[in-house]
Amino acid sequence: MTDTQSPANPPMARGAAVNQPGGRSALQHLLQGERPYMLYVAFAVMLIVFSLASPWFLSIDNFLNIGRQTTLVSIIAVGMTFVIISRQIDLSVASTLALSGMSASLAMAFVANNWVVGAVAGLGTGALIGLINGVLTTRLEIPSFLVTLGTLSGARGLALMVTNTKPVIITNEYYFAIFGEGSVLGVPAPILWTLGVTIAGILLLHYSVYGRRVYAAGGNPTAALYSGVHIKQVTTLAFVLTGTLAGLASLILSARSHAARPDVVQGMELDVIASVILGGCSLFGGRGFVLGTLLGSLIIGTLNNGLVLLGVSSSLQLVIKGAIIVAAVAFTRR
Amino acid sequence: MIEQGSISPSSEAPLLRVEGVRKRFGGVNALRGVSLEILSGEVHALLGENGAGKSTLIKILSGVHVHDGGSIEIDGRPASFTSPAQSRDAGVAVVYQDLSLVESLSVADNLMLGREPKTRFGFLKKRQLVAQAEAFLKSQNIPLDARALVGSLPFAYRQMTEIAKALMGDVRLLILDEPTSALTDDEEKILFEAIRAVAARGVGVIYVTHRLNEVFRISNRVTVFRDGQNAGTFVTSQTNMRQLVGAIVGPDHAVLKADSTAAGQSMPSSAPPGSLEKPVLELRGVSNDRLDRTNLELRSGEIHGLAGLIGSGRTEILQTIFGLRPVQSGDASLDGVSLNRTDPAAAIRQGIALVPEDRHVQGLVLEHSIERNLTLPRLPYFSRFGWLQHRSASEHANAAMHRLAVKAPGASTTVKNLSGGNQQKVVFGKWNEPRPRVLLLDEPTVGVDVGAREEIYGVIRAAAAAGSGVLLVSSDLSELLQLCDRISIVVDGRITKTIARQEFGSAEDLHHLIQLSQPSEEHAA
Repeated sequence: MTDTQSPANPPMARGAAVNQPGGRSALQHLLQGERPYMLYVAFAVMLIVFSLASPWFLSIDNFLNIGRQTTLVSIIAVGMTFVIISRQIDLSVASTLALSGMSASLAMAFVANNWVVGAVAGLGTGALIGLINGVLTTRLEIPSFLVTLGTLSGARGLALMVTNTKPVIITNEYYFAIFGEGSVLGVPAPILWTLGVTIAGILLLHYSVYGRRVYAAGGNPTAALYSGVHIKQVTTLAFVLTGTLAGLASLILSARSHAARPDVVQGMELDVIASVILGGCSLFGGRGFVLGTLLGSLIIGTLNNGLVLLGVSSSLQLVIKGAIIVAAVAFTRR
Repeated sequence: MIEQGSISPSSEAPLLRVEGVRKRFGGVNALRGVSLEILSGEVHALLGENGAGKSTLIKILSGVHVHDGGSIEIDGRPASFTSPAQSRDAGVAVVYQDLSLVESLSVADNLMLGREPKTRFGFLKKRQLVAQAEAFLKSQNIPLDARALVGSLPFAYRQMTEIAKALMGDVRLLILDEPTSALTDDEEKILFEAIRAVAARGVGVIYVTHRLNEVFRISNRVTVFRDGQNAGTFVTSQTNMRQLVGAIVGPDHAVLKADSTAAGQSMPSSAPPGSLEKPVLELRGVSNDRLDRTNLELRSGEIHGLAGLIGSGRTEILQTIFGLRPVQSGDASLDGVSLNRTDPAAAIRQGIALVPEDRHVQGLVLEHSIERNLTLPRLPYFSRFGWLQHRSASEHANAAMHRLAVKAPGASTTVKNLSGGNQQKVVFGKWNEPRPRVLLLDEPTVGVDVGAREEIYGVIRAAAAAGSGVLLVSSDLSELLQLCDRISIVVDGRITKTIARQEFGSAEDLHHLIQLSQPSEEHAA
């Protein structure tokens, strides 16, 4: 058996060696896995340029800052990685976040001022919207683009309706500490949550039976069906996962601002999707990995941060960001 | 070949004369000098097994390929097409099996696509467009409503729209490539009327088909190709099915030899599958949208063939057993346990395996590695509490690759980069270990080269020898005769006859049997 092990990738497998955790570590993935070598180079160049251009860029404080700012996108993007690998899309994540935040804060205001109650309400609301997305997509066979376009609108509307567009104040100190302001060894809670979610995502996608099935369902749904994969369940679960993570993101955001607002993070789904695609996922399903997504999210975050430090106007920032995303995807995709 | 001289029905010069045309693809001799004459106003059927050279000749006539030798004349003028446009300009029109119509547009829109009448400012002259299309349909005697939406039409009328579209312009020669493969009997009648009307206007029609019954209903003459050569041209009214089958299969077909050697080889294994044994798999009057009271018994260690025409329901029998189609009435059972309410996942758990017809679409995730594909159907075997045991998965993959002699650099090679034969071995490998109780095979050697084919036969025999019941669907009759212990004939979703090895005749007999079991055989006698 050992003699059949090929020592290195021969020329024919070059570039085609995709997502093969079997026998390869996650680090190898990051370094040689997909094709975003260009992405790593771009990231490095960006870091160098910003360091030279701004004296404040290269500091631990600033990197913690970037980490905090990208938390919401990074966490949701881990779920979105599963959705996109299974050949679907979820446009509703920003609205899900808003509604989950309202639900968490209202639960603490009216049910019990206990952080567990808030967490369960927030995560549960996110999971429920994910379940709705998944069930409508797989059972009624409506394209997920349309289903989640609907929930994007519906969930945002509900969030605005419950308090008639007013924010809900949160007063629970544990809640602030756990999701927003606490820290361990100087690392802020939001960054710890990001790390935790990323590691869990890596384990689930690359080391579990479920992860394998996600790849198969997206890589070739018919072949997956013929191999006994319950595609509907697998896909629905990916939506539930993403919704739940949007719920987690809502807890982090509301803990940071001591309130839940119904009009937060509008348009954030685009940053989430851009991170996933930038990180090497194929929009056609079957390819991608979690660390790539994290990198994609960090690139977008660093770009935002660097442009602010350089004093670029916010309007021009948008233009530059858009151009860089399209260019990066054009270079890294086939 | 002798017949050819004696039957030339009239002295008029042929519309199309193909003389000794040859074509090679790499090492494969697709055409080794075929000849064909089509008269004006004639429907000429073209028959032959897969690979006999029919499609190659059509592709040469339509300008997709260029022939290496021989001559082609249209109306006495030499013709050699280097592009489809040239072929069209010379008056040759081809209607392929897969339709190329825009379903959301009307018949008239489809006919006039790309040649719409326009105003000076580029606006569509809608009324004129419909009028032109209607006039054209009328002139061709084609009974189509120009305003009807193509997507709403029955298949025969879509096929007719396709023919009408092909006839736009000055067409002398119309080539139809298996136009009836998806038609009902009534639809077929309607289409045949339209084809006769076209021929009556002096167009020469080449009609390619696998169905011998149709030949007798539509054609004036019939030419048979075998192994890239002519195997005879007959006047339809003066021939019969047995003669045509003989021409298609050939007098000293390799099957007979292969059959006898295979029989010798598998003697030891074919003795034990005792007929007294209880069947592993049983179908009792199973019906659904495609099956009609199917009865079947599959024994352990048996290779059981399903023979029949494309569309007869062979694939659907396999799909129903595998849980891809519901059992609406009747009983399906494996080792006495009902399969009536199963899905593929449950079928796999119960020990049923399927090697599907289209390995690219149904069998493999092409972008993924060999290891991922091999382990996909049985991930629970390589996991503990839902977590994958990477070492056990890759050991399994390496073992399966070794056992099936998959030629690849390693288990992490992307399946897309493998040859057809090796890809098919990977599909087999998905079900190799642990052994399935029932192995369902749907055209397992299509697109597989000769060497790999023998290896796959070895895999199939080994599976049966190890006790799996094998149900084999194949359009290759020699394959069935070589491998099977029994063969069942499938017609319209039913098994009409089951024959045992000792009753096997030649491939010719089997072919004849399949054709004769067709419901509308009275036309063919």
